[in-house]
Amino acid sequence: MNRRMRSLHRSMGALVAIFVLILASTGILLNHTSDLDLDKRFLTWNWLLTHYRVNDVAADAVYLLDRHTISQFGSQVFVDTTPVTQSYEPILGGIIIDDLMVIATENALLLFTPDGEFIERMGDSVGIPSGIQNIGLFHGEPIVQTRDGMWRSDFMLDQWEQLSLDGVGWSEPQAMPESLQNALVSYFRAEGVSVERVILDVHNGRILGKYGLWFADLVGAFLVLISLTGLWLWARRRL
Amino acid sequence: MKFNFYTLRVLVILGLMVSSITVSARGVYQTDQDFLIESFNGSVPNSKVVWIKGDLKSTIAEILGHHYVGLRIRYWQNEQASAWILEEIGKEKPITFGIVVADGKIATMKVLAFRESRGGEIRHPAFTEQFKQATLDELQLDRHIDGVSGATLSVRAMTVVARLALYLDKFTG
Repeated sequence: MNRRMRSLHRSMGALVAIFVLILASTGILLNHTSDLDLDKRFLTWNWLLTHYRVNDVAADAVYLLDRHTISQFGSQVFVDTTPVTQSYEPILGGIIIDDLMVIATENALLLFTPDGEFIERMGDSVGIPSGIQNIGLFHGEPIVQTRDGMWRSDFMLDQWEQLSLDGVGWSEPQAMPESLQNALVSYFRAEGVSVERVILDVHNGRILGKYGLWFADLVGAFLVLISLTGLWLWARRRL
Repeated sequence: MKFNFYTLRVLVILGLMVSSITVSARGVYQTDQDFLIESFNGSVPNSKVVWIKGDLKSTIAEILGHHYVGLRIRYWQNEQASAWILEEIGKEKPITFGIVVADGKIATMKVLAFRESRGGEIRHPAFTEQFKQATLDELQLDRHIDGVSGATLSVRAMTVVARLALYLDKFTG
């Protein structure tokens, strides 16, 4: 039993040694992310960007308002090719009232100038109805459809009345214009991938996709097993 | 043999006991509306806005260490106090803070929403208590704020918004 355990311990030790080195060195680096500015250093190697599918950037939502394209990639909201603000809720539509571009999310309205400058986020604290599903215009007045019904306001957006209307011009998602798509790909390629993200992905195996994650789990299981066999041998020797 | 099995079992249990379990601190702790209702005892005044331009823009940039994202900041004010809902990035994601200023001093400091994976300890009253009665002394807080291990950037974000709220309260009178 003891010999078999020692043999198992040695075999697994040799097998996982290289991965222990990788885990330990990447772990040490991740512990000092801020000190080493790893989150502020970016890699723009072509093969890495291709591996991270930076060429395949696809917006989560696109709305065309006047001469501007509003899009969302993750939490980042873009006006044309400029990142303007963050929204942790998906954008659901947009309208233009007077000299404002208004973008709706589930619980807030994001206000922009006609030039695409971010003004502010208006939420429940200023009476914006929650549970928004879409935004539209009815005779120039802003309307939001929520889970609880339809609400109308004026250009100030601070007073809302519930009502029911037919013929509202609802905002509809659009396809990303091709020229803009290319510009956004260039933007993301130029931004690169942070060193922290690459090291973290090497550390947890995600650099190799979902199989890498399973592989990291397997290495982890080996480490648990090797620790247990090591403890077994240590305890046997003390007997 | 019995001894070995027992030793092994004890060691495994000990290992499980000492292994750290990471609990995510992410979440919305209080909605903006509930924060205002609580801060003004149910009688929330109408909101006002302060436009970020000119000298105010550069002073805010000096306080934050970067330009403010947005052209205006909304606030609520009555005779006794002003309330501010401000966001600042901790490490990567914005943290939403609710601050009440009365008589030029911080009366309430709260984390309303926390989106980072680490540093959520700053929301606990034991930490936010340090900001109570803090005031501004040449754009700096009049006191030292003790940090939290592993939450340096979140602490920095809270300190910065405390200074910003105090400055804006003074600016808006």
